[in-house]
Amino acid sequence: MRTEAIDPPGIDWLRVSPKYVTVRLAGWALGNLIAVSLLSLPLVLVLAGAWTWPPVWLGIAIPAAWLLLALWRLVLIPRQVRSIGYAEREDDLLIRRGIFFQRTLVVPYGRMQYVDISVGPVERPLGLCTLKLHTAAAATSAEIPGLPASEGARLREQLSARGEARLAGL
Amino acid sequence: MALTPQGAGPAGDGIAAGTADAGGPADDVWLRVHPASPFVRGWVALAALLFFFGRDSFERLLQGGPLFDERLAGRAPWLLAGGGILLLLTVFGYVLSWYFTRYQVAGGYVRVNTGFLFKQQRQARLDRVQAIDVVQPLLARIFGLAELRFEVADAGESAVRLAYLRADEARQLRATILARASGASGTSGGSLSPSPEPGQPETAAVEAPERVVLTVPPPRLMGSLLLSEQSVVILAGGIASVLLSAVTENRSFAVFLIPAAIGLVASYWSSFNKGYNFTAAVSPDGIRLRYGLLDTQAQTVPPGRIQALKVSQPPLWRLFGWYRIQVNVAGYGLAASAGEGSARTTLLPVGSLADVLEILALVLPDPGTPDPLGVFTAGITGLADAAGTPGSGGGQDTDGGFVTSPRRARFLAPLGWRRNGFTATETALLLRSGRWWRNLVVVPHQRTQSMALQQGPLARRFRVADLVLHTTAGPVAPRLIQAGLDEARALLDAQSSRARAARKRQKSEHWMEPAAKPAAPPADDPQEGPHHG
Repeated sequence: MRTEAIDPPGIDWLRVSPKYVTVRLAGWALGNLIAVSLLSLPLVLVLAGAWTWPPVWLGIAIPAAWLLLALWRLVLIPRQVRSIGYAEREDDLLIRRGIFFQRTLVVPYGRMQYVDISVGPVERPLGLCTLKLHTAAAATSAEIPGLPASEGARLREQLSARGEARLAGL
Repeated sequence: MALTPQGAGPAGDGIAAGTADAGGPADDVWLRVHPASPFVRGWVALAALLFFFGRDSFERLLQGGPLFDERLAGRAPWLLAGGGILLLLTVFGYVLSWYFTRYQVAGGYVRVNTGFLFKQQRQARLDRVQAIDVVQPLLARIFGLAELRFEVADAGESAVRLAYLRADEARQLRATILARASGASGTSGGSLSPSPEPGQPETAAVEAPERVVLTVPPPRLMGSLLLSEQSVVILAGGIASVLLSAVTENRSFAVFLIPAAIGLVASYWSSFNKGYNFTAAVSPDGIRLRYGLLDTQAQTVPPGRIQALKVSQPPLWRLFGWYRIQVNVAGYGLAASAGEGSARTTLLPVGSLADVLEILALVLPDPGTPDPLGVFTAGITGLADAAGTPGSGGGQDTDGGFVTSPRRARFLAPLGWRRNGFTATETALLLRSGRWWRNLVVVPHQRTQSMALQQGPLARRFRVADLVLHTTAGPVAPRLIQAGLDEARALLDAQSSRARAARKRQKSEHWMEPAAKPAAPPADDPQEGPHHG
């Protein structure tokens, strides 16, 4: 994986499964289907003659603009997934994500309170899971989505073991 | 209402909730809160009932009419009887709840049993205490009662609330808990013999001696309220509405000013009531804060429980050189109810620079720098020189070693770039920001939870990045704004290793115990997770 400018140098990032793109696509499709159909409602009502106010061009323009934005985000999804990475260091876990708005997170093992693994309906058939770390700070929001189930289990055990070895007070 | 178990919160962080039959040392002494407490707790219900039934009759009496409306006169006995039954039921509920609430401080734990239909047993480890508050609402104060709140790190509701105890009993209990938690009584938690009853002075701990550090005189408090951000917003709103009504020649804007003014007076009054007679003192058990005009509150925050601290100064306060200090304490969480919450997380409502430095010395007994005065002063008021010495330096000695935004960031933050910066001492990271709203955030190294480096597209153009430090919930959100990319990356690495080193040095949770055996964590309760903080 290409090391981005914001990251600490000399880190071998582990990437999440490419199959995670499918999960993101499913979410994208569902979300935008609902949004576009809701936004098209005025157009339908105007064409059916129930409403008079929004002119037809406006009724078309709003869902069209939304669709354009959605397509742009669709193009970005594979790159966004590729940009998610994590690295286990001696004393902390690094998680990075984002293309335009990048974020590199450092979570010391000793600060972990607990580790969650969750599997969604789309993730399950693909054999993926999402791992989430919790510290005493709510803002941490350390999440690694799209991990293969075996890797998720390994990481969880690894993190728990390291957390126990290095645990610190609050 | 009164019968439900209070605070069925998550059973984490030293709280273990279970049913009462799950056991517990039955031979130990269990205490009840003061018998008057159901009436003090239920006073709102009583007052409301009295108000509804009393107001109408009172108005009639004033007007010289009969005590009851003629139409109601026939039904008055029924109404009275209904009201009376309602009243009795309410009081009975509170009495039941009082009867079934019992507490105990023993064996390194504080335990509370509540509930009548749904029983709840709760126990919290004493050494997990993050803060202890003794609260006296006005009515409780009249009766000489006080509420004790025991906070653990669950960022929300108090773990243990004992309402109400006799005031001196509450103070005594607080002293006992703090003595056990600090390890000052010689034995650490878990191995204690059954507790001496907290009411008995010969066995109970004596309160640690304290030294008053500073007080806030009422005139300064009033001045600070008048010059607060709130007042600026109000003034702007007032001017805007006057202008609007002048332009539109519409008088109805004045109508909106009346409820606004009422709300305003209430808000100022609440701040004044909370901040009145603010006293900060230091004792071996930590920082003690006392404040309040009608409702008084006394907080004790043991050493090392402060996760992050912010010194801030609204623009108008600069006239008098006043500052405010807010803190994150794990047990207090975010300001739940605006008035109470913000008062609890305020370490200094208004004070001079000398007061601020005094408080900083309490929070950071070891500042980790040979020149704490210079560094903190630079953090509060300092400014890098306009040349913006690139890279390593910041200013020379004049700027306390602060590394500010690089000069190229001046287009992003034309005012702030000379101010936004950081410096690290041996024990804490200092982040400063803001030219108009001056802020200095201090995060002790061993309190950093996690860190994130963030960069948006615009920031990438200027090769700057933000560094966010995550701490427990509270009013302070440490963020280093627009540091140069190389500095930010270096800081991320350096800060990780500093925090790691500080965690290894960290002493045990029993702050009065000799600092030996730092590596051995206190043995945890088997039903807790492996690690709670």
